[in-house]
Amino acid sequence: MFAKMFKDGLTRRRLLGSGAAIAGSAAAAAILPRTAFAADKVVKIGFLAPLTGPVAAWGKPGLDGCLIWGEWINAAGGINIGGEAHAVEFVAYDNEYDPSKARTGATKLIREDEVKFIMMLGGDTWPGAQPVADRTGMLFSTLLPSDLSPDTTTLIAPCEVHPIYNVTGVEWLADNMPELKTAVMCAQDDALGLPSVATYLAAFEAAGIEMQDDPLLFDPATTDFAPVVTRLISGNPDIVCLDTCYADYVHPICEQLFQQGYGGQIISCTADFYQQIVAKTSEEFMEGFIFQFPDFDDPALNDESINFQMPNEFYAEYASRYGADQWGAVSWEYASIMDLWKAGAEKAGSAEPDAVLAAMKEGGTGLHAFGEADWWGEDLFGIDNALVGNWPIVVIEGGKATIKEFRSIPEWYAKHGELLKKHMSAYGQMWDQRA
Amino acid sequence: MHSRVTNLAAFLGFGAILLALPHTLSFSQQEILVFLTINVLVVASYRLLTLTGEWSLGHVVIMGVGAYASALLSKRLGIYVPASMLLGAVTAAMVALALSFPLFRMKGFYFLIGSFAAGEIIRLLWKRFREPFGGPKGIKKIDPMPDFDIGIYAFDFFEPISYYYFALAVVGVSLWVMWRIERSPVGLTFHAVHWQDKLAEASGVNVRAYRTLAFVLASGFAGLSGALLAHYIGTINPNSFDVEQMVFVLTWTIVGGTATFYGPILGCVVLTILNEIVLREAGFEQMRPLIYGLILILSVLFMPKGLESLVRGALSWRNAGKKKVGETEATE
Repeated sequence: MFAKMFKDGLTRRRLLGSGAAIAGSAAAAAILPRTAFAADKVVKIGFLAPLTGPVAAWGKPGLDGCLIWGEWINAAGGINIGGEAHAVEFVAYDNEYDPSKARTGATKLIREDEVKFIMMLGGDTWPGAQPVADRTGMLFSTLLPSDLSPDTTTLIAPCEVHPIYNVTGVEWLADNMPELKTAVMCAQDDALGLPSVATYLAAFEAAGIEMQDDPLLFDPATTDFAPVVTRLISGNPDIVCLDTCYADYVHPICEQLFQQGYGGQIISCTADFYQQIVAKTSEEFMEGFIFQFPDFDDPALNDESINFQMPNEFYAEYASRYGADQWGAVSWEYASIMDLWKAGAEKAGSAEPDAVLAAMKEGGTGLHAFGEADWWGEDLFGIDNALVGNWPIVVIEGGKATIKEFRSIPEWYAKHGELLKKHMSAYGQMWDQRA
Repeated sequence: MHSRVTNLAAFLGFGAILLALPHTLSFSQQEILVFLTINVLVVASYRLLTLTGEWSLGHVVIMGVGAYASALLSKRLGIYVPASMLLGAVTAAMVALALSFPLFRMKGFYFLIGSFAAGEIIRLLWKRFREPFGGPKGIKKIDPMPDFDIGIYAFDFFEPISYYYFALAVVGVSLWVMWRIERSPVGLTFHAVHWQDKLAEASGVNVRAYRTLAFVLASGFAGLSGALLAHYIGTINPNSFDVEQMVFVLTWTIVGGTATFYGPILGCVVLTILNEIVLREAGFEQMRPLIYGLILILSVLFMPKGLESLVRGALSWRNAGKKKVGETEATE
């Protein structure tokens, strides 16, 4: 590491990053519970997500985060299961966001690698893995709770309740910028874009913001966003909503908005690698951009209600290994799911999927990364397998993502749940419409 | 007589290897073998289309037509899965017949672009109409092939070995039919349409009818492969049949070569093993697209006639060796 550091040149940023990473590792070893570590006991965890292709931005950074998490846990003595320390090992399989490869990967991870838990991005790939999950009883997690239905009893969404948390961003926008009254929205026409469209429509309606036009749905194969943006801003809207567009779309859409002279408010679910957008546009243009995924060096994450272990140190380690501009929405998410799984396995005294699931859901609450949360979802998904609580609203200020506030998703849902169900139904996104 | 016995022995030996093959593989490799078997039918059917000289960019979408039709027929109308697979193939062939009217007003590059546009229209229809196609999410929980027992073997079609045997039988019969078509006067006319279309036309051959026939037959087999895929993985969506998948089919075909029946199949087998097994096992999982692209460039540069040229070279070298031995013996 040091040889590489001096070979590549010792910059201030690298020095600070490495210093923080070393401090983080030391702190991890000191803070996390120490147990007698038995190197021969290993618990394997499967990572079945896209690592290549257009959706890799929501898989690869998550694996990178998990590797840091695993090293820290192993350095601190591993996971205590039934009184014995187990080292954790991640086994990854690139499903290329293809259901047939998800099936092959699930088979390999369960029947050959003998993993005890599999983390997925979900979406198009879950139906490919579902028959394997049903047959083997393996516990899976997804980042997309729209995969949940009453018959997905071994599938949980313990971190990201996409896209429901998007309501918090719109609610915050309406409270803080009440002068903004009209909005337009664009999204890719796919399984990820549509439930998010329904959610944003509900959130805008609840906030009293008028949609100027129907959401503009573009084909995922779109590469030229100039006409999309031209049409989008033709009515001079106060707000442009980018829904849950993939990073490959958010970047060119922002560039087009910049080039076509849009000066209004932008809100988006994600802004992965936003530093690159700032570099392609300008700091002034991106000022005030609202999204939902914080950088973990944010001081607001040091609050004692936050359950993610040492977020600032985690971010520093991640940035020093892969670069701060490689930090994305999922960099921390799979690691936070592992925090929950670890707690469940230690509580159950077993790594077996059914025992861990029962321990995780005991009492109906769980320690979500952003605070205590409820196992919830029967209304929308037909099963209470989504862990829902607070979610941060993030705004770009001076070229840097900053948490403005945490807001409660259940509180919004208690007030406006019927609106959400109405729009979800209109887009065929309720669980009983998805078969 | 001696040659026939040798061929029969080689055929039986190859069949025995194919039957024993899944038992030598790991679980995930068995899964890959199922998809490989289905893809063999896709590339072989694609070659049938290229016999008349036309290259399509809509072949994978036509495969999807078979998949969607079979899935909907079994799921909505309760049609027995093997029957719905055949009906899926027929639907794909019928859709190809309908498309042939506008498409075969074009040739060469224009046909290529036209087929891409036609394919995209079909894909967009699947996305636009949630009823009955399921929209962007596609169709889930497609009925699986029903399990059955033949006494010596119980077929559980969740298990890749069972589905491999079923797919192998279907693909084997399909390949035999395609082989017979190519060797028949119809197949020879396909070649004539490709290489000497003006001469063929002057000889009274209805060139457009033969191009249409090749397109419809190839599409029927592609539809059958789509149906096989749909009832195995249990889910399909418009992205499963997008241009990226088509690029894979083109790559297998180009790297394998199209001069022989086995060329594209060889390309499909070699590249699938390389991409899905060798590179993954070697730890190059995330570099696979890069390496795959490099192989395509190198093969086009250094092996323009495809992998089949290596086989043909080896066979002619062996035959030359035999001839030389025979001449030496005759001299002595």
